[in-house]
Amino acid sequence: MQENKSFLKKPAVQTILASLICIVLGVLIGFIALLIINPSGAWNALGEILKNFWNYSKHTTQMKNLGNTLVKTAPLLMCGLSVLFAYKVGLFNIGAAGQYVAGAGACIYCAVGLGWGWFPCMLASILAGALVGSLSGLLKAYRNVNEVISCIMLNWICLYLVNTLLSKIKNPTSPYTYAINLKVVTTDGVTSTAAHPQALLPTLGINALFNNNKYVGIAIPLAILLAIASWVLLSKTKLGYELRATGLNKYAAKYAGMADRGNIILTMAIAGGLAGIGASMLYLTGFEDWSVTQASVPAMGFNGIAAAFLGGLNPIGTIFSSYFIQHITDGGAQLNKQVYPGEISSMISSLIIYFCGFVLFFKSTMNKWLDSRAEKSAKKGGK
Amino acid sequence: MGNEHNSEYAIEMLHITKRFPGIIANDDITLQLRHGEIHALLGENGAGKSTLMSVLFGLYQAEEGTIKKDGKEVKILSPNDANALGIGMVHQHFKLVECFTVLDNIILGDEPVGPMGILKKEEARKKIMDLSNKYGLQVDPDAKIQDITVGMQQRTEILKMLYRDNEILIFDEPTAVLTPQEIHDLMKIMKNLAAEGMSILFISHKLAEIMEVADRCSVLRKGKYIGTVNTADVTMAELSSMMVGRNVNFHVEKKEQHLGDVILEVENMTVASKVHKNNAVKNVSLKVRGGEIVCIAGIDGNGQTEFVYGLTGLEPLVSGKITLMGKDITKMPIRKRSIMGMSHIPEDRHKHGLVLDYSLEDNIVLQRYFEPTFTKNGFLRRKNIRKQAEDMIKEYDIRSGQGPITTSRSMSGGNQQKAIIAREIEKDPGLLIAVQPTRGLDVGAIEFIHKQIVAQRDAGKAVLLVSLEMDEVLDVSDRILVMYEGEIVGQLDPKTTTPEEMGLYMAGAKREEVKP
Amino acid sequence: MILLIQYMIVFASVLMLVALGGCFSEHSGVINIGLEGIMVFGALGGALVMSTLPAGTSGFVIVILSILAAMAAGLIYSLLLAVAAINFKADQTLVGTAMNLLGTAGATVIVKAINTKANPDNPSSTIQYIGAKKAFLLVEGYEFNWFMPLALCLLILSWVILYKTRFGLRMMACGEHPQAAASVGINVFKMRYAGVLISGLLGGLGGLVYITAGVSEWKFENGVAGFGFLALAVMIFGEWKPFKIALAALLFGFFRALSNVYTGFDFLRTLNLPSTVYNMLPYIISLIVLVLFSGNNAAPKAEGIPYDQGTR
Repeated sequence: MQENKSFLKKPAVQTILASLICIVLGVLIGFIALLIINPSGAWNALGEILKNFWNYSKHTTQMKNLGNTLVKTAPLLMCGLSVLFAYKVGLFNIGAAGQYVAGAGACIYCAVGLGWGWFPCMLASILAGALVGSLSGLLKAYRNVNEVISCIMLNWICLYLVNTLLSKIKNPTSPYTYAINLKVVTTDGVTSTAAHPQALLPTLGINALFNNNKYVGIAIPLAILLAIASWVLLSKTKLGYELRATGLNKYAAKYAGMADRGNIILTMAIAGGLAGIGASMLYLTGFEDWSVTQASVPAMGFNGIAAAFLGGLNPIGTIFSSYFIQHITDGGAQLNKQVYPGEISSMISSLIIYFCGFVLFFKSTMNKWLDSRAEKSAKKGGK
Repeated sequence: MGNEHNSEYAIEMLHITKRFPGIIANDDITLQLRHGEIHALLGENGAGKSTLMSVLFGLYQAEEGTIKKDGKEVKILSPNDANALGIGMVHQHFKLVECFTVLDNIILGDEPVGPMGILKKEEARKKIMDLSNKYGLQVDPDAKIQDITVGMQQRTEILKMLYRDNEILIFDEPTAVLTPQEIHDLMKIMKNLAAEGMSILFISHKLAEIMEVADRCSVLRKGKYIGTVNTADVTMAELSSMMVGRNVNFHVEKKEQHLGDVILEVENMTVASKVHKNNAVKNVSLKVRGGEIVCIAGIDGNGQTEFVYGLTGLEPLVSGKITLMGKDITKMPIRKRSIMGMSHIPEDRHKHGLVLDYSLEDNIVLQRYFEPTFTKNGFLRRKNIRKQAEDMIKEYDIRSGQGPITTSRSMSGGNQQKAIIAREIEKDPGLLIAVQPTRGLDVGAIEFIHKQIVAQRDAGKAVLLVSLEMDEVLDVSDRILVMYEGEIVGQLDPKTTTPEEMGLYMAGAKREEVKP
Repeated sequence: MILLIQYMIVFASVLMLVALGGCFSEHSGVINIGLEGIMVFGALGGALVMSTLPAGTSGFVIVILSILAAMAAGLIYSLLLAVAAINFKADQTLVGTAMNLLGTAGATVIVKAINTKANPDNPSSTIQYIGAKKAFLLVEGYEFNWFMPLALCLLILSWVILYKTRFGLRMMACGEHPQAAASVGINVFKMRYAGVLISGLLGGLGGLVYITAGVSEWKFENGVAGFGFLALAVMIFGEWKPFKIALAALLFGFFRALSNVYTGFDFLRTLNLPSTVYNMLPYIISLIVLVLFSGNNAAPKAEGIPYDQGTR
């Protein structure tokens, strides 16, 4: 009993519990929606969403689809880290979306337009993201412009700028840019040849594990490495110590002589760089091409907010939460489209973000409950 | 508001007791306010004045005691109840909407409206102008609060009460933010109001103002009721001694003094205020030498906080010069001042002193984490940090649940303060600035902290102590400078002065030129 | 030219309505980042009514019912923000972002579910309302519809409510200094609820106006293409004041319209600027305004800060 109580009192345990509550509530409402749409198949449909690639019976197909999910998890994780990093310093980086767009524009243009190799392309995307991020930081530090507002404006400015830039390398027959990865149909099924092979991220043979899914490559281990690096940076280094102190109590940080303005700009630059590299992790695989007519900011950056909060604002937690979000998103695509819309999984993930807003409330309620129980048992013990 | 009253008293608060966890804020206090009088409520910080007024205004409920209005017992559960009984209050921090006009602020919550909730401002304007003329409360009804002087803002607050037909008016330290001219005007207004039949409660710790304006004065000390006197029958010195009472000495052992070189020299320092438009610190000059504890005494809100902010670099100076150990540090950033040997035990340990969600060990190195001992190649040296924390815990007897990894938030106030003191003293500073280092602590912790401060002085360091506690000032310091309204108004020797004399300086009743 | 003015006025009405909604919410002290999501749900409510009303329904009834449906849908959706931000003191930016994502996803789910139920081979997120849409038009052949006079009325009404009524005075006090408002007996929670719900009403209506502008069907997967965010920019540029918001909406609507029709103007075509430039301009202008005037910010002082009765 005693041990049980102190176990529930641990902050890490409470964080995980709170995230689970968010997930359960989100999935529950999603399930209710499924029930309303078609009660008879709802239970199976929920299973299909949660199973994602396990829906396939063949192991090789499973692995191939797992690979696809992982390919999209990498950029999501980066956006999650971007949001998390800024939040640690007390900034809400709703601009991860725009920084991601900037990164996408930079790497696609460098790859297709300039014919650069993958590494300089990736650096370009980091730089572009960092530039956009530090602009918000600069405005916050020197002009006290609310970072949320400046980020929202920059999201759209980035989108239109990138659309303009990339329309220079647009494929005249489609709204998309020239592909990095050209699909050529040959007799023995779909294989591919790359139009800009130098810009494709190396696969390092990892793709062999995923039934030769050609999109799987360096991005996935790199993303995990960067998550661990973020964790190390935040918890093990002098810089991380300063940044967290600034986020937790900016007055104490100032009192201790930390450079508050410099730290804000640096943080936003790092956050932007993370979102930017995220974009190159997706677009340099050729998994997707950029449509220059798209009229809304890609949701990847916003989903990063979900990943960060669901991961309990911990870089390692974010690895799992971003995989989970991508897992159910892809799971939605498994649904029978004639009965259930696949967007039900985006709905679930947005509901999860919504419930993340209640995390503080969950935690304080949990603590109140634990305290009142402790009091009761103390009274009993006293008698 | 007729002349016939059922009772001699407009408001009576009888045997009020209000407890907070661990402290009795009001212990059996009785306060009787006559019709048409100005009644002052005098006491030091923490004497229980604010709590008592909050009970009267319905912000707190008392555990014991009764409140009577016009002889009839009443229950006041919220500010709305107070308002319905005709009780109004001018809060120390004005409750005005900055971007609204004076008129809008006055009518807010009690607006005259026509059909569809459309405001009838002309009606309100007439009533306000009538009140304004009747009591000499000059305001511009169409000016926005953000554009007018503090004095006019206060008149707006008074009009807010009159507009609601309140007849019992509470003024909570109304002169703290005013210029002398504005104070003079306010005194006149209060007398006018009383002459028109209003009953006024005037909370203050400025003796001269009380003597000038109040008919009677009730004194509180440490939550207890000391007595009520007619101001005409007493002297300021008598009031002062009622306010401060007898000293309970916990004497602190001090070695004989060996004065060293001048460590800190402040010349003509002026610092702006964040609260009002006047400067909070005006032209202050002082010197602190090695081996002495100089204490800045004074009542809260007389510029001590801003003085320390200016000194430590948290706020820029309007003008003046600061020299630390022979070097001009006026424009130096906080970090450099700290490295040069300035240690600062801040007034608010939760706001500045600690990152509450950091572990104890992380807070122990808050001023030194960047030193090579604790950081190598950008990485924190956790082992050394842990060792430093363990040493401090042992040396300063810091008690915490899990040792170095305890979250600072979960520690008791005394142990939090010990951690800060350990950190600041262990830096081996040339100058130790300690601001209210014992605020809110128990006797054991207070004694420990005093010993540490005196040990620094005995080791030849310069110590600047800022304190509101009379006992602390008299026991610990070697030299006392009294600050009143942002200026140093007196220098006293703790060996020869009395609390009464100090009280006179602190309350602005006495002043002298002080040469640094 | 006429085309440009038509588009400008249509876009300006949308932006103005939604920005006015945001203005109410923020004046009560709650930042409403979720306007985009509110618009989507308002549009959905209106579109569903338009598509389900029988063909013979009189124009007047169509207009009234679809407007009411849009407003009601927006209002209900805005409850998500009100409950989280006011009762549970949740982070308003986080909740607003969630609402934007949920708006598009939720609306798509609903429309697709309806479409597939009617015909399993039609898993699209499009609602058609060709017949009903005609009822809105004021002048045959032009894009002038009932919404424009309505928007004008709502503009004047908003101004009257904010500056001339007891309700407006009290609500703005809650956004500026809730402690002061509470000290004179105003219920801050109630006023904030009112502010957020009004933003739901106006945002929902704005969504309906947007999807009936020039088109007669809407694909809900596309959401409302950032108009909710543009409305936020309009609100900031309009300094949280109704008439300035109206002017800002006209200006931003003009840029938006230019991006659609600039090819019709010879001198603009010769400039050879891509349409994205015109789309970008409103955001750039707002950003510059923020940078230049951040010192004397017109934003309500207490916005975004949850009200806690304990703090005084």
